[in-house]
Amino acid sequence: MDFTIDELISVCIARQVVDGEVLAQGINTPLVMAGLILAKCTHAPNVRFASAIGQGLCQEWGALGVGRSEDMWLGKALLNVGFAVAAADMLPKFHPKEFFRPAQVDACGNFNNIAFGKDYQRPRMRLPGSGGIPDVSVNHEQIYLYVPRHSRVTFVEQLDFVSGLGHAPQRRRGHGPRYLISDLGQFDWHDGHIRLLSYHPGVSIDHIAKKTGFALAIAPDVHETPPPSAAEIRLLREEIDPLGVRKLETLGGGARKDLLRTILQREGAW
Amino acid sequence: MSSFVSLAEAAALVRDATTLALGGMTLYRRPLAFVRALLQRAARPRDLTLLCFTAGLESDLLVGAGCVGTVRSCYFGLQDFGFAPMFTAAAQEGKIRVLEETEASIVMGIRARMAGVGFMPARAWQGTDLLKLRPDVKSIIDPYTGETLTAFPALRCDTAVLHALEADYDGNVKLNNNLGIDNELAYFADRVIVTAERFVKKIERATDGPIIPAPAITCIAEAPRGAWPTSCYPLYPLAGGEFLRYIDACNAGKFDSYLSAVLDQ
Repeated sequence: MDFTIDELISVCIARQVVDGEVLAQGINTPLVMAGLILAKCTHAPNVRFASAIGQGLCQEWGALGVGRSEDMWLGKALLNVGFAVAAADMLPKFHPKEFFRPAQVDACGNFNNIAFGKDYQRPRMRLPGSGGIPDVSVNHEQIYLYVPRHSRVTFVEQLDFVSGLGHAPQRRRGHGPRYLISDLGQFDWHDGHIRLLSYHPGVSIDHIAKKTGFALAIAPDVHETPPPSAAEIRLLREEIDPLGVRKLETLGGGARKDLLRTILQREGAW
Repeated sequence: MSSFVSLAEAAALVRDATTLALGGMTLYRRPLAFVRALLQRAARPRDLTLLCFTAGLESDLLVGAGCVGTVRSCYFGLQDFGFAPMFTAAAQEGKIRVLEETEASIVMGIRARMAGVGFMPARAWQGTDLLKLRPDVKSIIDPYTGETLTAFPALRCDTAVLHALEADYDGNVKLNNNLGIDNELAYFADRVIVTAERFVKKIERATDGPIIPAPAITCIAEAPRGAWPTSCYPLYPLAGGEFLRYIDACNAGKFDSYLSAVLDQ
């Protein structure tokens, strides 16, 4: 069965979901949403979604969108409570699992979504900001990471700013990231250091090491990432994300813009 | 108690060097008509402090027009459309001051203010660089457990602007459920301006959005399609083409001509 890298990432994300969990969904992370819905459609029918859009809880799901994503997050929600109540009161009670996309991550799993460059007043690249990452990463147990385009820009020896707390000595509560998936492989943390668990089909360990800005540790039973099944691919393509919204995270430049335009026009959100 | 005004009259209430909160969430139900009215003033506001839980196109227009001195937000971007171009450039060039915020710092800051106390403690931020980037935010020791906590300082806000689906002739308004922190802004800001898609005789109570009652509202201005090009669920979806046109214009260095064209419409 042919599959594309976005599909493999979403399938691997789905495999990290345990039935019954509350799954938090951030802003602009469709690869994650596709994976979480896939989990609900397969082995985890009793999960519930808590989204930054709509700020409530959904036990139903709808196909991914861009211009009409409120059809799901408002139209199918069990309840909507607003961001203050969701973030401060409701979600901490549910110990949600959440996948974050770091702009930089180090070997300890500290991550940065604030800016590139050491000078905070005049950064080389200002990023949109860290949302709730400095709040939940110091306190929660179920922090997961994903990186759609694995490179030395993202996997760095030294972060410019720590907005997400990893397996760091100053941690007093919660737990550092449990897992990371990139377009090259799957990783976990062992003794506070990231290590390669599996390499994706067609990717060599050497290549992953070259694309990583720090010394790469490798799990003793490192293996090839199991490919998606035909049923998983069919669900992603036909039911969960027929518009291909998930691919917006793996494409860049003109190809991404073309896809975005096509999606919006097909949605009638132009 | 709310009074009924024109959009221009509402926009005239915003003074230089005050804190302005813009309601809604990312690309949803943002008060764009109000922002356009602000930018159509003979004297545009200057040195505003923008307080947006999430800041998007409405805020990027104000930054690009030179109205903003300080930004307080936990996310300033255009979601699927990428970075907010004018904010990104202004922050990189050091032209605006960014007060780094997170969900907790804004929510706890509002709750402190609403409780009438100087700070609200939380576990957020401990061990991250946020405490270095915000030296004004102090840590305290919990007097009962000894745990070190972050003491998020009370926020204040001169003017909050919310966009509503409906307003009625008693001065109540109805929002939808993609709230961001609109419910909190309505009771926390010194002055609350509401723009509304339409007026109805009497708002019906329903589960698809909260009602903000007249005593919380300073004034209401009618603004049909007042969230465009952001969405106003379920009345209209976001106008994706307009977002792409905006980004293309900014990337080509043509923010000013884009803004002139939008304000002339």
